[in-house]
Amino acid sequence: MTTLRPFTCDDLFKFNNVNFDPLTETYGLSFYTQYLARWPEYFQLAESPSGQIMGYIMGKVEGHMENWHGHVTALTVSPDYRRLGLAALLMNFLEDVSEKKRAYFVDLFVRKSNQVAINMYQNLGYIIYRTILDYYAGDHDEDAYDMRKALSRDVEKKSIIPYTHPITTHQLHQANQMHISSN
Amino acid sequence: MSQQVHDATVFERRLRPIYDSLEVGNNRKALQETEKLLKKHPNMWCARALKALALLRLGRYEESQIVLKTVSNEKPVDDPTLQVLSFCYKELEQLDKIVYLYNNAVKQSPGNEELLAHLFISHVRLEDFKSQQSVALQLYKAQPKTAYYFWAVMSVVLQGIRGPESKFPEKTKIYLALAQRMVEKMINENKLESEQEVFLYLHILKLQKKYKDALEFLSGELCEKLYPGAPVYMKIDLLKELKMWQETNTLLKDLLKDDRDRWDYYQDYLISCFQLLKDAPENTPTEKTNDETPISELSTLDECHDFLCQMIESGERKVRGPYLARLELHKRMRAQNLDAEALLGDFSVLINEYFRLFGDKPCCTHDIALFLPSISMEGRQQLASKLLLESGISSTTLPQDKEQMQKHICALQISRICGSHLDLQTEHLLAFYTALKLHYEHGLSSFGKNLLHTDMGPSDPYALLAANVMYDVSLREQRSDRIFEALCLLQYVLRNSTSNFHVKLLSLKIYHMFGCMLGAQEMYDYLDIKQIQLDSMSYIHCNLLPLCGRFSMARTVFDATLKFFTNSYKERLEYITLTYRFCTFSKLEEFMNFKERLTNSIHYVSTSIEAQLCDLVMLYGNVRQNLAAYTAMSIEPAEDRISWNELSDNRDLGALIRWDPVHLVNVDEERKESFDQEVEVLQIRQLQLRLVASFVDIFHQKPNLDIANVTEDKQNIDKNINSKKTNQKTVNANSNSNSNDMESARETDTIELLRDSWSGLFQRLRLMNYKPLSNRFLVNLLPTRLHLLLEVPYEEFFSSLAQLVLDLYSGASNLPIQCKVVSDNASKIVQLCVQVISESDSAADGLWRRREWQNKVAACLEILSLYAFVLSVIYEKLQQPAKTKPRKKAGQESNSDLNIVNEKERSQLVIELMRHLRKQFQSCETAITNWKTPTLARELNSFMADMSLKPEVEATLIGDVASIFKESHELMIAELRNLIKDKMRMLSK
Repeated sequence: MTTLRPFTCDDLFKFNNVNFDPLTETYGLSFYTQYLARWPEYFQLAESPSGQIMGYIMGKVEGHMENWHGHVTALTVSPDYRRLGLAALLMNFLEDVSEKKRAYFVDLFVRKSNQVAINMYQNLGYIIYRTILDYYAGDHDEDAYDMRKALSRDVEKKSIIPYTHPITTHQLHQANQMHISSN
Repeated sequence: MSQQVHDATVFERRLRPIYDSLEVGNNRKALQETEKLLKKHPNMWCARALKALALLRLGRYEESQIVLKTVSNEKPVDDPTLQVLSFCYKELEQLDKIVYLYNNAVKQSPGNEELLAHLFISHVRLEDFKSQQSVALQLYKAQPKTAYYFWAVMSVVLQGIRGPESKFPEKTKIYLALAQRMVEKMINENKLESEQEVFLYLHILKLQKKYKDALEFLSGELCEKLYPGAPVYMKIDLLKELKMWQETNTLLKDLLKDDRDRWDYYQDYLISCFQLLKDAPENTPTEKTNDETPISELSTLDECHDFLCQMIESGERKVRGPYLARLELHKRMRAQNLDAEALLGDFSVLINEYFRLFGDKPCCTHDIALFLPSISMEGRQQLASKLLLESGISSTTLPQDKEQMQKHICALQISRICGSHLDLQTEHLLAFYTALKLHYEHGLSSFGKNLLHTDMGPSDPYALLAANVMYDVSLREQRSDRIFEALCLLQYVLRNSTSNFHVKLLSLKIYHMFGCMLGAQEMYDYLDIKQIQLDSMSYIHCNLLPLCGRFSMARTVFDATLKFFTNSYKERLEYITLTYRFCTFSKLEEFMNFKERLTNSIHYVSTSIEAQLCDLVMLYGNVRQNLAAYTAMSIEPAEDRISWNELSDNRDLGALIRWDPVHLVNVDEERKESFDQEVEVLQIRQLQLRLVASFVDIFHQKPNLDIANVTEDKQNIDKNINSKKTNQKTVNANSNSNSNDMESARETDTIELLRDSWSGLFQRLRLMNYKPLSNRFLVNLLPTRLHLLLEVPYEEFFSSLAQLVLDLYSGASNLPIQCKVVSDNASKIVQLCVQVISESDSAADGLWRRREWQNKVAACLEILSLYAFVLSVIYEKLQQPAKTKPRKKAGQESNSDLNIVNEKERSQLVIELMRHLRKQFQSCETAITNWKTPTLARELNSFMADMSLKPEVEATLIGDVASIFKESHELMIAELRNLIKDKMRMLSK
């Protein structure tokens, strides 16, 4: 039972019951405000009937030509509200927005070790598109899976033909740079 | 000018290393490089601007200011120079100067898009909407991009709703009408391009309450084309505003058919049903008079019920939505005295059904709790027993699976919310505690295996509940042992379930309750609180640290907090400029409010003040060093920089989970009560700080005010926040320097004024008779410092010290008497300190009131330390050669020279005071050195017998927790002794 509404600045003051979860990162303010300012419709929050924040999704839309796509930057659900299909609801929402923006696909990165999340995304129709080496820097660097789901505009499903060779973060950034400069 | 433009690439190459040095923070090197470059090209604007920036960042404000002024006056036009200068002014918080810069530049190259855009943004920073509008239109003229046009539209809207004229409704009307016309012009010319432009148009219509037009536009072709993703809520809200209930009803039913689990839809659906019901009799009087059967009063609700049942039955997966909606319907019908039972049956049966279906989800407790206030106390108790029965667990059975356990947990939580624990005898509560602990153990061993380290243990909620129960017992017995035992249990849980933040939060709370800063800090670190959490979660740690007994530890936490605030203060305007850049008009007002909320956070203001007090208390150098440190803090005693009416409370009080009886918990009231007290505490503390500063300033006047202003602007960004707008701040500072001559006429004015405010404040506070915050439940907020500050003789001491400083300054004849008054007050404070310590030592339970005792001792030492600093600087001044000594001319003409105590005598008296204070510190030192480690209310062994956890765990666990208390005490003693040692050195002459 959920209320879906846009994430607002004030929510930053009260998302602690979600953000204290060890898998949820609390970013610097400018990170949130940048998303809110650029892609406000991609930052959505699920609220419980009692007014508690149950979880939220944060994303963006970017890319050029056939790479124009929605991206999930963060998806988190409070421990009290797990196994209620909330993540699916939020993902649906983001896919819906991306459809309306005529995007070709939606993608996201996930830790290779986060099997729970990988399974969930697979159940939602995402495939492992490629591996990105050492994407998560830290005490122990960890690879990421780049997972994707094609949207209706990608009629031939070209965006989800898996890429067999792992790429490095450097290559990933280069690719992004290219898209930006070609924009 | 020509030299500025020629060969830009050469310059660019030469400037690059300077930028790089500044980027990495090597300001010294940057300065050297600029100087080298300026030798060859002495007039180069950008290099000079960079020099100003490097100087500024090196803290050489005066020199920086000179360079900055000359370059600005030459009215540079090239972008790099302007950017660097803007940087300087941003760091100096002189935002109006940036407007000046770009205005000059635009004059020299009118129609330059880039410069105009910068000029626009510089107005945005100052919230000068009118100028924004005119620059945006110039921009649009120069470069007809729709975005610029909409910048102008937005600026017009803001003039109407936020600008200075927005107070007058007729002005608002004019502005909004203008904005509407402006957009309509674009629509007619077919120039509307983006979602946000459409949004802005709808927003303008809504602000004018033109809901019908808005709805039409929203449903129109153009909107469909440009804004296909318009949230459905725009439509729902408009339909509601227009009271189009039938349409609302139909729309929501359609939406719900696609998504059966949306609470927002159900709520509005129910609203529409009740509205239709209300309208029905009015609309159908003719039908009633007809022979036809009158429309049943409940027909709409019947329909509603049918629809909900249909929602329940459709779909293969059961979702909470329609069930909760049915409960909500029941609740709303009862609230309107409609016969809910006839339609929906017994409420408790419905809740029971809900529990049966969803009790295995942790959120079930929150869901059911929502409806408890709507039933009687008696009904709640009955419901609680019913649910416990339904869970299938009795005192002799254990959960068979995880789901059953979660149901049991849910039933227990609800029963606490219903108030079932209130009337239990203490021994029953204790038995209940034991049962909870066993359930925890059982759940852990049966269902808590193979958890990921990021998972919470499924049986952890038993232990959390147990801690709450033990606090109830402790409160009844006014003893610490039960809650200490609960703390041990929580620490045990934490070892099994390292990511359970509820456990960390509760442990943190208990540690603070008993003044164990070490344990508290450990939990705080473990929670990894950062960024905006430093504001919203401040109340669990940072805000409890002032006067906790560990000044330097507190200072470190303040530091981390202030760093966040200073950074976000610097960035605060960039968010807003970002929304213009991306034309996200829907977020603009939200960002502006957010900026206000963050910069006016009471926690920000109060942490800045506490940090400054802390710094003064901890001064440890020689007089010169101390004075330099003091000057660098640039406290302005005459100036109240806090905008009291804007202070905002950003605490997230919902982060601590609780199941306390719903009829006894009122979070909003608790918030208000505690906030009011925090504001009073802040009043006291800022006056205290300004008083101390005024004592110092009268003997050590600050140098040249012009420079002081600059330094102050730069250094005290922390404190500037308090004055609402930066430009306003600059104005204040200027008017200050103008009245400088007047001020010198009565140097004593500030002290006298502050002393009056000080006494007035305490008088008012005593009359207000604030009650300490309720400590009824574990999760309630800890008491504010208000009562501590009223109880320890702050008022008396600083009033008498103010008189002493005045007398020392003027050499008043009653000086010796005033010296006696102040030394007696100092002795009294030491007596209090010694007495508190002996009370602590003789207490059978060393923890229950531990926090209070430590607070008092810390407060005593704070007062004495500040006093020591004041004496040391006065002594320093009186030792200096006669010509620089303060002399009293105006104001006390009646005092003949004969009555004035001469300077030598004054100096002698100060030496006496210092000697006396040193002795006092000595007694303090002795008392503190002998202060005993807190005694636990019971022997460690007896705790072990009670815990009955796994034996191998028990032995180490309780010992570990006890030793944290011991170590925390020792650290505090060591820190306080160091502090005293520093003060003794400060006083030795």
